[in-house]
Amino acid sequence: MSNYIPTIGIEVHVEVKSKSKLFSNSANSYGMATNSAVNVIDLGYPGVLPTLNKEIIRQGIRTAHILNCKITKKMHFDRKNYFYPDNPKNYQITQNRTPIGTDGYVEIEVDGIKKKIGIEELHIEEDTCKSAHRGNVSLLDFNRAGVPLIEIVTKPCISNSKEAMAYLTKLKELLFYANISDCKMEEGSMRCDTNVSISKSEVYGTRTEIKNISSIHNVGLAIEKEILRQEKVLDEGGKIEEETRRFDDKLGETILMRVKETGNDYRYFIEPDIPYLELTDQFIEESIKALPLLPDELREKYNKAGLNSLQIEKIIANRSLNDYFLGLLNYKTNYAIAVNLLLSDISSYLNKHNKLITDTKLTYEKLANIISSLESGEISNKNIKELIPSLMENDKTLENLKEEFNIKNITDDTYIKDIINKVINNNQNSVDDYKNGHDRALKFLMGQVMKETKGSVNPKIASDMLIRELNK
Amino acid sequence: MNKYLDLSINEIHELLVKKEITPLDLVKEALERIEENKDLNAFITINDKVIEEAKNLGEVDKDNLFFGIPIAVKDNIVTKGLRTTCASDILDNFIPIYDATIVKKIKNNKMLIIGKANMDEFAMGSTSETSYFGTPLNPIDKTRTSGGSSGGSASAVSANLVPLALGSDTGGSIRQPASYTGIVGMKPTYGRISRYGLVAFASSLDQIGPMTRTVYENAALLNILVGEDEFDLTSAKKEPEDFTRLIGEKITGMKIALPKFFISEIVDKEIRNKIKEIVSLLKENGAIVDIIDMSYLDTAVNLYQIIAMAEASSNLARFDGVRYGFRNNNAKTIDEMYETTRGLGFGDEVKRRIMVGSYILSGANAKTYYDKALMVRDDIKKEFDRVFKKYDLIIGPTTTRVAPLLGTSKDDPHKAFMDDVLVIPVNMAGLPGLSVPAGTNDKGLPIGLHIIGKAFDEATIYKLASYIEEAVTNE
Repeated sequence: MSNYIPTIGIEVHVEVKSKSKLFSNSANSYGMATNSAVNVIDLGYPGVLPTLNKEIIRQGIRTAHILNCKITKKMHFDRKNYFYPDNPKNYQITQNRTPIGTDGYVEIEVDGIKKKIGIEELHIEEDTCKSAHRGNVSLLDFNRAGVPLIEIVTKPCISNSKEAMAYLTKLKELLFYANISDCKMEEGSMRCDTNVSISKSEVYGTRTEIKNISSIHNVGLAIEKEILRQEKVLDEGGKIEEETRRFDDKLGETILMRVKETGNDYRYFIEPDIPYLELTDQFIEESIKALPLLPDELREKYNKAGLNSLQIEKIIANRSLNDYFLGLLNYKTNYAIAVNLLLSDISSYLNKHNKLITDTKLTYEKLANIISSLESGEISNKNIKELIPSLMENDKTLENLKEEFNIKNITDDTYIKDIINKVINNNQNSVDDYKNGHDRALKFLMGQVMKETKGSVNPKIASDMLIRELNK
Repeated sequence: MNKYLDLSINEIHELLVKKEITPLDLVKEALERIEENKDLNAFITINDKVIEEAKNLGEVDKDNLFFGIPIAVKDNIVTKGLRTTCASDILDNFIPIYDATIVKKIKNNKMLIIGKANMDEFAMGSTSETSYFGTPLNPIDKTRTSGGSSGGSASAVSANLVPLALGSDTGGSIRQPASYTGIVGMKPTYGRISRYGLVAFASSLDQIGPMTRTVYENAALLNILVGEDEFDLTSAKKEPEDFTRLIGEKITGMKIALPKFFISEIVDKEIRNKIKEIVSLLKENGAIVDIIDMSYLDTAVNLYQIIAMAEASSNLARFDGVRYGFRNNNAKTIDEMYETTRGLGFGDEVKRRIMVGSYILSGANAKTYYDKALMVRDDIKKEFDRVFKKYDLIIGPTTTRVAPLLGTSKDDPHKAFMDDVLVIPVNMAGLPGLSVPAGTNDKGLPIGLHIIGKAFDEATIYKLASYIEEAVTNE
């Protein structure tokens, strides 16, 4: 029986959002035509020197801040030397000795228990080319060469796959909300390597590294499988080798890629082409100030605004609706109704037409007006469904649209009263039942009222009025 | 044949303004001179478009002293559309697709690039004998070296094939050849001139500089080469200044230091004597010259070997056959392609330095050698700072001996470095240094005076240099 203690560490690379690359003014954008976002610097041409995109330093400061890291004020870049065709200069400019952030944490919650996952360091570096292999030739796309990356390294303090997944989910949400990165694992803008070792004592076991796992879910699986594999090896009297593995999601196993050679020798030294940077307090403050509200801050704010936790999680999970909703908080309205509308009718309209809410004409004023009309019973949920396309696509006010769609003023007492009287007259049996104390009869009569009004009346108003008429 | 190129830049400029000559006359004359002196091997590539460029230069600009003047550019400075080899087989067919910042400045100032000057392969050497394209000769004595690594530039200016040349100086590579060939060579303060487009040898030491026949022309050329460059983060932002402004002023009261190390036994007696003469001359004319102790100067060569080679091993990694330059297409695997491309493409000295540099940065060696070298380098800087609190300039000989015979330095790599023992400390401290002809030995071989200034105080160096120049010419 196993009583091994697993120790897990995670290294995450994210591609940083920015207009241009880290060390050149080529565009930093995913999905452009092959080798179109390239200049002599990205190609590692003889004689070129790196420039430095300050915005990436700001992004690094922000990342350090949101991961509760100490910010390194005096820092430099280093060269990591190794030969590989996707590495244009055959050295990568990175931060080895003075990472921009150190000693932070990310707080996670697993099964109701909170834990801080320690961050060893985070640093800025450049991405390599993307290579494609066709038969016996290899092709290089330099669009990715020099794209800014931030690498985030945890301490070896993760105990199991659940914690690993919770950490990655939280990290992704944070970086995404802070506008650091798209964090799309499928497009490679977030990449994850995991180190796993097991031991029965306090001394760490030999670790293996699982590279480039394609989703957070697979990180969880890969860790579980790797722990099982290591336990089996040790229980059978074997020895864990220091090696690099990958996770095959079809087989559901980690597969050996290569055994680590005796200590990679990257011949690091200080990059002489980029002078030391000294970050001023002002530069740091300005960078941090530009951060939008982060998920935990939003949760607190939304809780105060009267949303329940399900609504909160759902709205936070939808970034563009969340950003829209955040603006709505400046208006006095019923936020719970707003969220429900956003997540139901509005969402399905947007999805159907493949639009963002910012592409529509649904102003905050219009939405607040709709909500108050709903609350007062002037319009019904059913009306909303009918009105949505027009509300989203043109400038007309709710009043204009109500006329256009011939929506009766359903709070008009006489209109409802006429219908109620008609129902009472046509269902004398049920009326008698009600008068004899059968509550179910009221439900039936109410159903008839809704049917007659095609659901366009406020049920509460109609029900009150029905009872009043029956009791006459 | 015309002799316009024997005139000073000012005189040539006057003729151009008066329309007595055109840039085409100058270019043709330069090309003829290069052809006649082919044995000097000063150029690797001649700009075959230069005649056309001269014809299309447009109306003479009377305010631009350098309008239409031919210039030689060292072949480690990239020139768009003009082959740039770094004197190496690995870049034998390399045609750059961009201009170095400095080349843009040359072109904006309507100068005409006559060709690419010969040099040591990737600027690694002290005699230009490591060039893949043959060795440039010293015009003063063709059995001797023109120095290195900017040997071709020095040879071209010394023989007056062109009046101006650009060199680069990592550990004396402008000043030492200037001294050997009797011309003026300035390595400006690190950061004065953009390095963008200079193929890097040792990034923290490399600096481009002007090589000319006279001090005035050197200072005037520096005027147009300097300036901060957004493409070089190590380039310095400085107010524009005229480097010729102090030329001709009296040297009375100037405070000059002569470190003992610069006149120690390592320097040939004939050179020491020449320095003594200069010192007397300066003192007679009101300058204060003190012989001083300076620490760390003797460590500079060792530091250079560590820092320059470490940086070089990384800078030259990009020559791998993947994107440009020579590639061995017969290789079967990527590793074999790297090994054979670099094995065949680089010369012996370059390979030796890459190997030493890689070793120096490898594993624990990085701390033992490289980090320690950086610390001592800081000490050298501080030592210069200390001296410059009291003195305006530091002087000494540029070299320990006159230009050696060809073929005598190749066998002992360490001895070759010792040629640069007097000039390397200046690179370590990032300071400006200049070599100006101080006369000749009894065989008529040039001796250079080395003048070191405070950071960004090239103007004061030119002041003393022009004084020496005049005194030596009138001797």
